[in-house]
Amino acid sequence: MNFEAVIGLEIHVEMKTASKMFSSAPNSFSTQPNTQVALLDMAYPGTMPLVNKQAVINAIRVCHALHMDIDQLVRFDRKNYFYADLPKGFQITQQFHPIGSEGYLDVEGKDGKLKRIRIERLHMEEDTCKQLHFPDYSLLDYNRAGVPLVEIVSRPDIRDGTEAMHYVENIRNIVVYSLVSDGKMEEGSLRCDVNISLRPYGSDKFGTKVEIKNLNSLKNIEEAIDYEIKRQNALLLSGTPINQETRRFDEASKKTILMRVKTSAVDYKYFPEPNIVPIRLSDSFVEDAISSCPELYEQKKERYLSMGLSKTDAEIILSDLDSASYFEKAAKDAKSAKTVANFLIVEVNGYLNKNAVGLSEFPLPPEKLGEIASLQEDGYTHKQCVDIFNYLLNNDVPVEQARKSLGIEKQVEDLSLMLKAVTEILDANPQSVADFKAGKDRAKGFLIGQIMKQYKGKFNPASLNKMMEEELGKR
Amino acid sequence: MEKITLELLKDAAHRMMFDMSESEYETLLGEFATLTKQMEAIGKIGGLDEYEPMTFPFDVTVDCLREDVPEKPLDKEEALANAGSKLDGQIKLPKVVG
Repeated sequence: MNFEAVIGLEIHVEMKTASKMFSSAPNSFSTQPNTQVALLDMAYPGTMPLVNKQAVINAIRVCHALHMDIDQLVRFDRKNYFYADLPKGFQITQQFHPIGSEGYLDVEGKDGKLKRIRIERLHMEEDTCKQLHFPDYSLLDYNRAGVPLVEIVSRPDIRDGTEAMHYVENIRNIVVYSLVSDGKMEEGSLRCDVNISLRPYGSDKFGTKVEIKNLNSLKNIEEAIDYEIKRQNALLLSGTPINQETRRFDEASKKTILMRVKTSAVDYKYFPEPNIVPIRLSDSFVEDAISSCPELYEQKKERYLSMGLSKTDAEIILSDLDSASYFEKAAKDAKSAKTVANFLIVEVNGYLNKNAVGLSEFPLPPEKLGEIASLQEDGYTHKQCVDIFNYLLNNDVPVEQARKSLGIEKQVEDLSLMLKAVTEILDANPQSVADFKAGKDRAKGFLIGQIMKQYKGKFNPASLNKMMEEELGKR
Repeated sequence: MEKITLELLKDAAHRMMFDMSESEYETLLGEFATLTKQMEAIGKIGGLDEYEPMTFPFDVTVDCLREDVPEKPLDKEEALANAGSKLDGQIKLPKVVG
């Protein structure tokens, strides 16, 4: 590679407030078009915008998580353009005075080391309406018009697809865990546009910029950028100049495809929004917004690690907000968070995958999972606990009643009986003993399996394993 | 400054996909003539470039934010009342993307 990629990202995040940014229309998804709109969203004359308090609180929380300076004087501007997706003829945004400026986010690069990506600005604005395009006409649904957005603009500090993917992933984790947004890229509630140019290593000038629009998954971001770097690299090496253009990513071919060539910059004739008097946020308002923010992803991860979970287990549980919430309720009174995590990751996720359902449809309340995990800590075997788990999936009874119904008893540590069993099985299987001595560990598993089968799982596996090793060592 | 003519107003109206009667255009033309005169008069005042444009009459701030409580939205029929063409509960437009 002869060139260095210079990449900046613009991310639009739809907030999950109850009402819209400037009107009181519900901000909720509806399959019925044009049923979630107020007069303001349709630009009826005489209607005036009123800024949504929760949207401002949300923006402050994201600014804080991104280490940004927060402008306590909230001002809005008009971005003027004539297009049907906003019937007012302009979008209300924060062009001149974004609420957040000069932040950063540390993300993991390809080499596993943390890299600091600077963030230029975060501003609030309103979403546009949804357009459906057909060969002969277009249809407009204004349900989305006016939905509160934050736009987060990075500095061009990103150098490859992996850094970009981790940057977006971290931002998604922030907006999801602060309850600002559901962060679903595939549904458009988190949208990412990429600006990318190449320049010779060592140069401090920027090359011609190409924009890649509407990347709807983390994987697509990584693949689109890595493809685009190769494409521009090949063009530059062949002496072909890069066009300033907008491209999209085609998932099937894994290539970026030209949408349109940019001719001249559009003049949006921005000016201050005269219908919203500047709003002064008090210190206490900002402090409250920050201090009342729910625990963020990174904080939760650290806490889970301190509870004994591995990094991988913590990340699996945190990959989904519902899963993290379920885990915390299950682990609250359980004797071991690690055992709860194992049950959640293996047994619960197994059920969800098999039945293609989400946690909201999972029949077992988290408290019961915590109780089952605690039984294992009390000396019941994992298999016994899994049997109780499976029973409870189909029977809405207390955990103790399930145990009794299944006739499951705690294993008794009858060491003399265990020794008798081990001695008998070793005497009866001299070849397995020889195999173990010759380094075949599987032979030990076979012998233990024989005992568990003969005694119907009566012994604690850990104790039996220990005794088996001791007795094998004596032979 | 570009001269505001009848042709210019008609062209602008047609670009925004509406039309008016001849007498309405005449009224509008008269209003623009007055406005243009006022602009020219203001333009004669010296040193205007030294001043910032004034968006608000008073240099005040407020602490007014709307509580995030949704209200009943418009009925679909109301929302679409002014739409010239509708299809499946949506506003139908001529093709806008190539």
